[in-house]
Amino acid sequence: MNRHIFLSFVFSAIVLAGCTKLDFYPHSSVSPESVSEKDLDPLLHGMYNAVQNFPGRESYIMYDLVGGNLISSGGGNVLAFINNILRTDYAMVGNNWDGYYRALYQVNNVLQVLERLPDSDKKTKIAGVAHFFRAYIYYNLTTRWGDVPLLRVNTTEKPFRTDQAEVWKFIEEDLLAAMEKAPTFSGDLKSNFYYVSREAAQALMARVKLAQGKNEEAAEYAENVINSGLFQLDSFEKIFRKQGNREVIFAFENLTEESSITLSTLFYTYAHPVKGSYVYKPTDDVMNMYEPDDNRKAMSIDTYSSLNVINKYPSGQAGTDPVVIVRLGEMYLISAEAQGLNGLDRLNELRSARNLGPVSPANPEEYQEMVALERRRELLAEGFRWFDLVRTGKAVSELGIEPFRTKFPIPDYERLVNPNLTQNIGYGE
Amino acid sequence: MKLTALLFIVFGLQLSLTASPQSITFSGEGVKLEKVFAEIKAQTGFLVVYNYRMIRDASPVTISVQNEPLHSFMEKVLSKQSLDFSIQNKTIFIKRKLETPVKNSPREDIPAPPPADINGKITDENGAPLAGATIRVKGTDRVTASDINGNFSLTGVPDGAVLVITYVGYATKEYTVRGNSTPVISLEKLDAKLGEVVIVGYGFQKRRDVSAAIASFKPTEENARPVLSPDQLIQGRMPGVQVSAGSGSPGSSNRVAVRGIGSLSATNEPLYVIDGIPVVQQNAALINMGENMNPLALLNPNDIESVEVLKDAASAAIYGSRATNGVIIITTKSGKAGKAKFTVDYTTGIQQVPYLNKVKMAGSDLYLEVINEAIDNYNMQNNYKPGDNNYMLRKENPYPGLPDTDWMDLVLRTAKTQSIGFSITSGTDKTKLYISGNYLNQEGAVLTQKFERYTTRLNISHQLNDWLEFGANTNFSFSHNDRVPGSNLGSTIMARALPQRPFDRPFKPNGEYYVGGTEDLIYHNPIQILNEENTFLNTHRVLGNFYGTIKLTQDISFKSSFGADLTYTRDNVHYNEKHPYGTGVGRLNDLRRFYTNVLWENTLNYNKNFNKLDVNALAGYSYQKLTNSTIGIDGRGFPSPSFDVLSVASEITEATTGLSESALLSLFGRANLSWDGKYLLSLSLRADGSSKFAPDNRWGYFPAVSAGWNISNEEFWGWQHTQAKIRASYGATGNQDGISSYAYQAQMSGGRNYGLQSGIAVSTNGNYDLTWETARQFDVGIDLSLLKGKLNITADYFIKNTDNLLYSKPEAATSGFTSIISNIGSMRNTGLEFLVSTNLNFGQLQWTSEFNISFVKNKLTSLIGDDALLIGANRTLKVGEEVGSHYIYRMLGIYQDDKDVPASFYASGVRAGDVIYEDVDNNGIIDVNDRQIVGSSNPDFYGGWNNSFRYKNFDLNFFFTYSYGSEVYASYRLTTERLGNAFMNIAEKAAKERWTGPGTSNTTPRAIYGYTWNTQNSTRFLEDGSFIRLRSVNLGYTVPASVLSKLRMSRVRVFVQGDNLFLLTNYSGMDPEVTSDFDPQFMSQDNLILPQLRVINFGVNISF
Repeated sequence: MNRHIFLSFVFSAIVLAGCTKLDFYPHSSVSPESVSEKDLDPLLHGMYNAVQNFPGRESYIMYDLVGGNLISSGGGNVLAFINNILRTDYAMVGNNWDGYYRALYQVNNVLQVLERLPDSDKKTKIAGVAHFFRAYIYYNLTTRWGDVPLLRVNTTEKPFRTDQAEVWKFIEEDLLAAMEKAPTFSGDLKSNFYYVSREAAQALMARVKLAQGKNEEAAEYAENVINSGLFQLDSFEKIFRKQGNREVIFAFENLTEESSITLSTLFYTYAHPVKGSYVYKPTDDVMNMYEPDDNRKAMSIDTYSSLNVINKYPSGQAGTDPVVIVRLGEMYLISAEAQGLNGLDRLNELRSARNLGPVSPANPEEYQEMVALERRRELLAEGFRWFDLVRTGKAVSELGIEPFRTKFPIPDYERLVNPNLTQNIGYGE
Repeated sequence: MKLTALLFIVFGLQLSLTASPQSITFSGEGVKLEKVFAEIKAQTGFLVVYNYRMIRDASPVTISVQNEPLHSFMEKVLSKQSLDFSIQNKTIFIKRKLETPVKNSPREDIPAPPPADINGKITDENGAPLAGATIRVKGTDRVTASDINGNFSLTGVPDGAVLVITYVGYATKEYTVRGNSTPVISLEKLDAKLGEVVIVGYGFQKRRDVSAAIASFKPTEENARPVLSPDQLIQGRMPGVQVSAGSGSPGSSNRVAVRGIGSLSATNEPLYVIDGIPVVQQNAALINMGENMNPLALLNPNDIESVEVLKDAASAAIYGSRATNGVIIITTKSGKAGKAKFTVDYTTGIQQVPYLNKVKMAGSDLYLEVINEAIDNYNMQNNYKPGDNNYMLRKENPYPGLPDTDWMDLVLRTAKTQSIGFSITSGTDKTKLYISGNYLNQEGAVLTQKFERYTTRLNISHQLNDWLEFGANTNFSFSHNDRVPGSNLGSTIMARALPQRPFDRPFKPNGEYYVGGTEDLIYHNPIQILNEENTFLNTHRVLGNFYGTIKLTQDISFKSSFGADLTYTRDNVHYNEKHPYGTGVGRLNDLRRFYTNVLWENTLNYNKNFNKLDVNALAGYSYQKLTNSTIGIDGRGFPSPSFDVLSVASEITEATTGLSESALLSLFGRANLSWDGKYLLSLSLRADGSSKFAPDNRWGYFPAVSAGWNISNEEFWGWQHTQAKIRASYGATGNQDGISSYAYQAQMSGGRNYGLQSGIAVSTNGNYDLTWETARQFDVGIDLSLLKGKLNITADYFIKNTDNLLYSKPEAATSGFTSIISNIGSMRNTGLEFLVSTNLNFGQLQWTSEFNISFVKNKLTSLIGDDALLIGANRTLKVGEEVGSHYIYRMLGIYQDDKDVPASFYASGVRAGDVIYEDVDNNGIIDVNDRQIVGSSNPDFYGGWNNSFRYKNFDLNFFFTYSYGSEVYASYRLTTERLGNAFMNIAEKAAKERWTGPGTSNTTPRAIYGYTWNTQNSTRFLEDGSFIRLRSVNLGYTVPASVLSKLRMSRVRVFVQGDNLFLLTNYSGMDPEVTSDFDPQFMSQDNLILPQLRVINFGVNISF
């Protein structure tokens, strides 16, 4: 071999071995343009995953945290705990905001992709689910922050806040669309409540109407769901222990391998068999609110080696549990509340299902107090308390908070990158 | 003896009377040469002319002749001397013998004189003896060393043999034996720094020819520290290079910053080039155990010949797109022609956590006093009465009378270290060989922590014929690291031990664990965590290259080199059923990674001398491909703890694999020109194409130029003993660190599943405009060597402007993403660096000293608007300020009276004894608008000071590092100084200094349960992180050669070495230098990190 052969060997090897290649593509993703009709199912499931996970685990119990139901496991002053969360730079508030908008982006993206695909039954149903999710996201946004940027399509512009009335209107539009397009609960979904149905949209609409004080309509939607015959009040042992039941209308399945919503570990201690990091515990008020015979009590709260725990999410650190988004118990309570004293039967029907005797309130005020207490017992740690107090005008008196804390602060972080966002009054400028 | 000689001379005189004029009769034993010369004059009348100094060292003459002719008499007399003679008329001239090689001697036919015994002495230029110099008989395997008086002896050395004398810091000298059996050989001190050779990118240069800013460090036995990785070797050794330790855990990462903060992305690591292979510096661990692990810990520091840091753009730009944060070139040892050298090194030692007393916690009585005061204050403030729902009961010691638990003592230990290694350096003119092996076993200071490492290396080169040389540098290593949870993990051992209540204990009377997070124990039981988890990190690394060099012409050579860095990692954590995370059934997480980094590099080299002009030019092509293949399986449900593979698991909760690839294609060239050794010019250019960027933005061009003037080589230069060089450079470097392989591409990612059905979702919108981050750096420097090299000074000033900063730019969440990696912003680093070294001798005592100091100033010059960006809970990025600024509330003091508390604060529960925060906007709310920049992670200046002493057979080295002006956020104090706002233990000092009434304290607040006001991020927890550390002391003794020759050893040095013996600092924690985060934006935060350990080692270095 002489030196020229050696050289030519080196140069030909460079070419042969492809030692000039610079184009590489990911192995776990595809380009968005390549999504086609055959990708509809993955697109749908990707949307479920996003809406379930992005807002973060605390988003599901946020209203319990700031509503006096939960407090840091170290204990302390409930008001101080709430005031500490409702700060402009508190990470959990920012994570809620980011999470809902990131989920919204995926939902809007699905709707945008659908637009360029040919019509089909599947496309319609997926659109229905997307409308439900968008309404669900906006319900969570507007009940926290009031006026929020309203995005019908995705944008990189810096949006302004939209008047809350318009947001409510948008939510209702979406829910109407969902009621029209989403799969039917018994027919399409075969009663699988881990997927969004038209009935779920109706149920959410009842909640949305109640939130706006449109009591008549709220009662109507709630009654529709109750009277559909598809659902019936069922035991907490089934609802909160991942068993078949007829009460849940829609829940995120939240399978361990698909989920980052590790709610349960927040509630148990390491002394408990399933282990948990014991971040939050029920307040003393919550520990004392159940009547002895209440069949919800054991499934809702527990005391384990002298520490009080929430007991609705059983997995601890061993996994995750389904997160109920809407169930029939709430419909009874909406109907009861929205109809005033006329709804007493619904209240007593629910109480009866929970092994409690009927009540006979003396006047509408007392009645509403009873409904409110029943709601608190029924929906503990499911993300209702704070907004229930806010919408009924009792937050300031019950929690002792300053009036401005009936809205969440817009996160500092978001306002830094979007100067078009104003802050809610009271949180400084 | 003298008397005898005199008698002989007298006798000789008598005999001479009978001799003929041209011949001599003489007999004498041990007669001095001058006496013989006098005798010649007396007998023959011939005058002998000589220089007295010439014959001063000549050996005395023993001779006995009768009527010997003058010429042959002279030959006999001078035969064993290094002297020659000539006879002209009636005069004999004595002169030095020409030291021609023996074989070429014109008197070859004359039989060589018999071998003689030599008793010589080695001195320095001033005549002071040098102990421990190596004396080798050239071409043989005979070797000895000088003793403490500089003396050495060799028996039976043939006449004309050449002795090679080597001594660290001195020029190697060859001495030809010519009859003088007692030579005194003086060595010349090396012309300090300017003469040495430094490694540069793709080659090497003489220090005197370098016109760029390059720092160099050569590890020796004397300056050795017990470090695991080469990056630690250079800590404090070089100006402009700041090495911060991550923690005291074996094998944990360090942060290396060259000339300040290079960029905002990733950890700002410089590029490491090991034996020519640019390696990827990433966390060696796959599982987050609360601290990163260092991949360089897989290398054996003893294999390292030198570490060079290319600091300025001119030196680094040849590495183009990865050089913004500097380039660290690690060169391993290579073989040398000559006698094989075999060395064995053994070290053993102990190490432990120093300064534990600085974080002393309260005992049970003090603890209860504070906690119950906090509870009383809570009840009183809220007006809770006994019997009320919210009334808090006082706490009591559940084990009255029992001694307190020393939690730190339970989890820490005095750890042992052992290391044994060998190396062989050998070679012929054609083949050169370096082989080494090392085994290291280092326990950590936390129970169950252990690092074991096996390394082997073979470096070989062979000259096949006159045009082809090939070789290989290969390193095989394996490490096994038993890890424990570090400070960033929920089960962190340090923070789960220190703040436990003093009366709690780890075990129940029946031997079971008390479980954390219960009434029994507020935190995880650290003993349970240590005992019931098995966490190990196995790393296998093959790093090496194969190369061939061919000479195309006399001046041009071509080199092709194939390099690879292959790392296989297996990271396991096994929580058994008794571990809190084992959820009663056991959990095993098994992650593996195969990382391949292959490189093919082809370079052409041109070297030519045109009269006064030296030209050295380089052109090259390289292609580097990185592939990262990962697999991770998480499962739970094991029949018993002894089952530790996932095939046994009853449930697989997660199984993933991943694959990503990227490549870098590069063309580069450089020309170094030197005119008459006076004027230096260097030009370089690199073009890099990266697969991480879109095709349109793929290529980056990085040019650099530098010039130097060896002003002392000019004729007008009047200071003979002073050398000086002025140099300046300017150039561009790039950075692509911290961006993923496919960052520019919009992607719909899989794995977004629901209900066990596969789902896809948009994971990134991509950024098609993404391109190189570019730094332009200007450097001006001077190298001075004064007083014949006794004092050397190097000074540099630089300005480094980085543009197109790669930054994860915050986006409005309404866009669907909270950040997008973008080229945004710019920053500037300016700095001054000094290196001063001295070499002084005081008789037998030699002292060399190197002092370095660096002043680096960082400033963010543009980013997103001018507002302070909030990053993390206590930091900011703000234009005009430093990266790493602490952004928190300023604590002004303590409210001494309720009347001082503003109404709005009073309403939320603030009372006398609580912290006063500065309400900057004076709006009665303490919120983000009241946060201020109150300090920075970056020191004003830092450096090191090394001192080496040598006295006779002893060597002593002590080495300081220091840093001034950085602030450390002691976030662990948020826990240990909560004063009853939860029930963890309290630092004794804070407990004693707490506010208990007006005037009692203006620094430490009151005890109060249930309020977080006092533990907000504020200057209360910000501390001065300045320090001076006695980094290392090394005392060695070299056993005298006289002893060694009997043991057939050429050198034995025993030593004792201490590391981190002394720390001078105002910082209240254990170690101001450690940090929980290496990102420059978040540096200098102490969340109770295992501090750097104090180490005492004993060892021996043996050479055969």
